[in-house]
Amino acid sequence: MRPRSPRVLAAAVATVLGLVTPSVDLATAQPKPIRIGEINSYSGVATVYTFPYKEGLALATKEINDAGGVLGRPLEFIHRDDKLKPDEAVKAARELVLQDKVDFLAGCISSGVGLAISAYAKDAKVLYFATHCQTSRLTWDDGHPYIAHTTNNVNQYVRVAARKASTLPITKWANISPDYEYGHNMWEEFSTYLKKLKPDVQFIHQSWPKLGESDHSSYITALLQSGAEGIFTSLWGAQSIAFVKQARPFGLFEKMRYVAPSVGNPDELDPLGKEAPVGAIVTPFAWYDAGLQKRHPQLEGWTKKWIEWAKAKGLKDPQPKLGASWGYASAYIIAEAIKRAKTTETDKVIAVLSEGFDMDFPWGKVIMRGCDQQALPPQWIGVVKLDAQGKPIATEIEEIQGKEVVRSCDEVKELRAAAAAKQKK
Amino acid sequence: MDFLTGLFPWITNGPLILIQVMSGLSVGMFLFLVSVGMSLIFGVTRIVNLAHGSFYMVGAYLMVTLVELLPEHSMSFWGALVLAPFGVAALGGVIEMTLLRRIYHRDPLLQLILTFGLILVIGTLVLLAWGPDNKSVSRPEALAGSVRVFGQPFPSYYLVVLALAPVVAIGLWLIFYRTRWGMLIRAATVDREMLGALGVDVATLYTQVFLFGSWLAGLGGALSAPTVAVALGMDGDVLTTAFVVVVIGGLGSFAGTFISALLVGELQSFGILIFPSVSIVLLFLIMAVVLIVRPWGLLGHPEE
Repeated sequence: MRPRSPRVLAAAVATVLGLVTPSVDLATAQPKPIRIGEINSYSGVATVYTFPYKEGLALATKEINDAGGVLGRPLEFIHRDDKLKPDEAVKAARELVLQDKVDFLAGCISSGVGLAISAYAKDAKVLYFATHCQTSRLTWDDGHPYIAHTTNNVNQYVRVAARKASTLPITKWANISPDYEYGHNMWEEFSTYLKKLKPDVQFIHQSWPKLGESDHSSYITALLQSGAEGIFTSLWGAQSIAFVKQARPFGLFEKMRYVAPSVGNPDELDPLGKEAPVGAIVTPFAWYDAGLQKRHPQLEGWTKKWIEWAKAKGLKDPQPKLGASWGYASAYIIAEAIKRAKTTETDKVIAVLSEGFDMDFPWGKVIMRGCDQQALPPQWIGVVKLDAQGKPIATEIEEIQGKEVVRSCDEVKELRAAAAAKQKK
Repeated sequence: MDFLTGLFPWITNGPLILIQVMSGLSVGMFLFLVSVGMSLIFGVTRIVNLAHGSFYMVGAYLMVTLVELLPEHSMSFWGALVLAPFGVAALGGVIEMTLLRRIYHRDPLLQLILTFGLILVIGTLVLLAWGPDNKSVSRPEALAGSVRVFGQPFPSYYLVVLALAPVVAIGLWLIFYRTRWGMLIRAATVDREMLGALGVDVATLYTQVFLFGSWLAGLGGALSAPTVAVALGMDGDVLTTAFVVVVIGGLGSFAGTFISALLVGELQSFGILIFPSVSIVLLFLIMAVVLIVRPWGLLGHPEE
């Protein structure tokens, strides 16, 4: 064989180098991130919930990316402020999809915002992960393939509260809830499920202060005279604190058993301090509870990690609140769905979600149910007490799995059929 | 009578009626305290101060901080209650002198836009200064409980408010009708050009009125703080109610504001018993009726 001329050799080397160079480039350059447009309320009243939530997302994202990302690509959340307005949210969603070319949408704290983004996602055929709002309508009545709900919905924790209420020696119930969709939805779910579990209950008094009412005195005096033995409420946040502060000196909580899902969270218990409604039945994320920590051995370590992270990020209250755990879980659930689909293609990720999967978190197993793409996390119910230092906490924590109480896939089908029939009319 | 008791089972329940009257009164007194400053500022400067709710909110937040800062003592609550409104008055003074003063003669729409802008700015500053978490002020130890009124427990703190609001109302009346300054203010509400022509420094008078109105908003916020959650968003909730109370009473009439606050408090209190499901619209229903019958409000004067 004749040795090749140096020119040919040089050309060959050049060709090989030419072929190699781009792949060297690929190895050193950052792979393209998976981008998720995240829309939530980052100014004003909702920040008490969304700031910890956003840091929860950030902590999980950092962990995921430090461990090599998803499909070898880093996860990236692009945040937008919806100012609690559905039209702002849809505008942001459109921009994120059309201009920023995000792969998925996520976010929401207001149910109205969540439903608006969901409607947009359905039209635009973009997959939307509802991460923070809680209305059951998202995945049930108004459900469709382009939405997945990565946190609790109202139905699960209200039913857990109703189940607890059914074990009490109380038959006469009253309601005080804010007069808007969430309040009516909560009371409807609570009263029908309680009636189903305990047919002899009576609902004898209802009051509907407006959302954000600051003075409930007249509602309280009317409640006191109603003869009810138990009160259910879906008041939340600042209004819930105000109601408790106003009702306490009237002796309401000594006269009647208070069932108040949201009052067990530190956002409400801590400001109430010694004025907390001792004995109230609540559905809290009681990360400090010894029983819960024993049941979930990783919870304590996660709590420490979170507190460090929150302090480093400058959160004024670094406690691991419900929102923090939801943000954290949501990022992991989104990552898991993409991992299982082995692609970011919308249809394939939806296929994975519609099959469903389970994931373990420091606070227990979260089921992503396939039929409605709805998360079924563990639920907790407890009772408010003052600890030795006089600080209010939730105790006697019982854990109930969401799947034990939530409406079944068949019931969801009925809801969707009813909603579709209503729309046709 | 049988018909009545069938329709309203509470009508023979004397203690209930009396306690509803009391709670309606206390609701009304709070309403008066938070809205009278708005009425005063409008009466003199003709500015609808949409930032009034924001001043109320700052008063409540200052209360939180002052109660924390002052040494633990049974009197520290009262110390904070005295100081907090002055903090708000100072804020109001600065805003009047730097911003509002420039727009008194402009289009009312511009004035609305400016005070609306202030809501957003103050809201954001409060978020930056105090953070997003809900805060709370405890009632002073002696007033944390309740006393028996007509055999029913009634919060003792509300009794203090029930006593204090009339004191404020009488104090205002004395200032308006028994001092020279009050006379000037009344004159300014009637004809400010003429007052200026008579050699009164109207600009300073406006600043003083705005300071005083802000002080009242701060007092309302500080007094309400122990009965609510001190949180972002309390500005908007209070603004709507205060605005409705002021409109019903007649913009600029402080006696009208007092009557309207009591009326709204009582009607709300009994509305809850009679039509529990429509109590949300009751406030606006009252306003609509008053505006149809007397478009200038109960004690207001028609604009020429």
